[in-house]
Amino acid sequence: MQSLALARSRVPLGLSLRIAATSSNLVGARRLIHASRRVCAQEEPELKSQITERMRAKKFEVTGPARIFDESGRELDPYKGGPSALNKAVHLFFFTEIIRGMWIVLENFFRPPYTIMYPFEKGPLSPRFRGEHALRRYPSGEERCIACKLCEAICPAQAITIEAESRLDGSRRTTRYDIDMTKCIYCGFCQEACPVDAIVETQHHEYSTETREELLYNKEKLLANGDRAEAEIAANLHADHLYR
Amino acid sequence: MVSLWRTVRSIQRTGLKEWWRQMQYIGDAKSGRLVGTDQLGNRYYENYNGEEEVPGRHRWVDYAQHDYNGSQVPPGWHAWITHMRQLPPHEDPIVQKYTPAWQSPYVENLTGTRGAYRPYNTTKPKVYGWEPKTADRA
Repeated sequence: MQSLALARSRVPLGLSLRIAATSSNLVGARRLIHASRRVCAQEEPELKSQITERMRAKKFEVTGPARIFDESGRELDPYKGGPSALNKAVHLFFFTEIIRGMWIVLENFFRPPYTIMYPFEKGPLSPRFRGEHALRRYPSGEERCIACKLCEAICPAQAITIEAESRLDGSRRTTRYDIDMTKCIYCGFCQEACPVDAIVETQHHEYSTETREELLYNKEKLLANGDRAEAEIAANLHADHLYR
Repeated sequence: MVSLWRTVRSIQRTGLKEWWRQMQYIGDAKSGRLVGTDQLGNRYYENYNGEEEVPGRHRWVDYAQHDYNGSQVPPGWHAWITHMRQLPPHEDPIVQKYTPAWQSPYVENLTGTRGAYRPYNTTKPKVYGWEPKTADRA
């Protein structure tokens, strides 16, 4: 019980010490005035006098813009050669800025437009552009994918599902290669992981659909994409072959 | 409305009929070299004169169908019109070299029509329903 009372009596003591320490500092004193009214109620007259003293010492007074002098002490007029007050008033009252702006609009009205008219003109794409997926075939027509499932493993969105079986001739092929294009984030990890360049992201990007299910691609859809665009895919890989 | 001189120049080169067609589709009077025609009948033009076409607008396609859409450009020409390939597919030696015999013809995006892709299962079902088999009574 006694220790509690001691602790309580120590609190105001500590506060008063802090005030004593900060009252010499103008910034600290101002902070105290605004932050805690109870503390400053005791010290207010002293602090006020200090602030006014300091302001008097620093000679705060309202003056115009700073005057500029050159080396020889002559005053320089920064507005020399600029528009006069009458000139500025004329432009202000006759809305000449608006008319000049409208003139720019009129000029561009008669210039060839810069807009790329999309379905007729298309913006530039990189050979590395990552669009719709495709499964490729070897030039012989044999499908490349060997169902190693590296793409399925690396896919950060887990959009790829693969099931594999051995074919009648004993080679390992996929029976299911599904890509959920609504999950895909088009990071391109699948085509980087693929050891046989089977799964690629083509430059085709105009495959928007009306329904969601049309974006759940299966193996035959992906192979059909590759069969249609094989020349473009191969040419783009060739364009990039020095950097791969 | 584009620059008057551009319109007059384009009409002089392509004729009034072609200009009217362009105004109905592209909405701009353009004139240039006919680079080629793809298997769908779309015509591809280019005009590399910087005084006449701003960069980015110097290759364009005139769609054969009235109901045009961006996916009607086949892959080879798509590579050309998006400036991935310098040369059009019928002149590009690399595209010619890599075109396989089994390349299938391109079809546009058929969404919203009866030809639209519908996903289906490519594997055998793993779960079968129970089909009761009864032995004949003797």
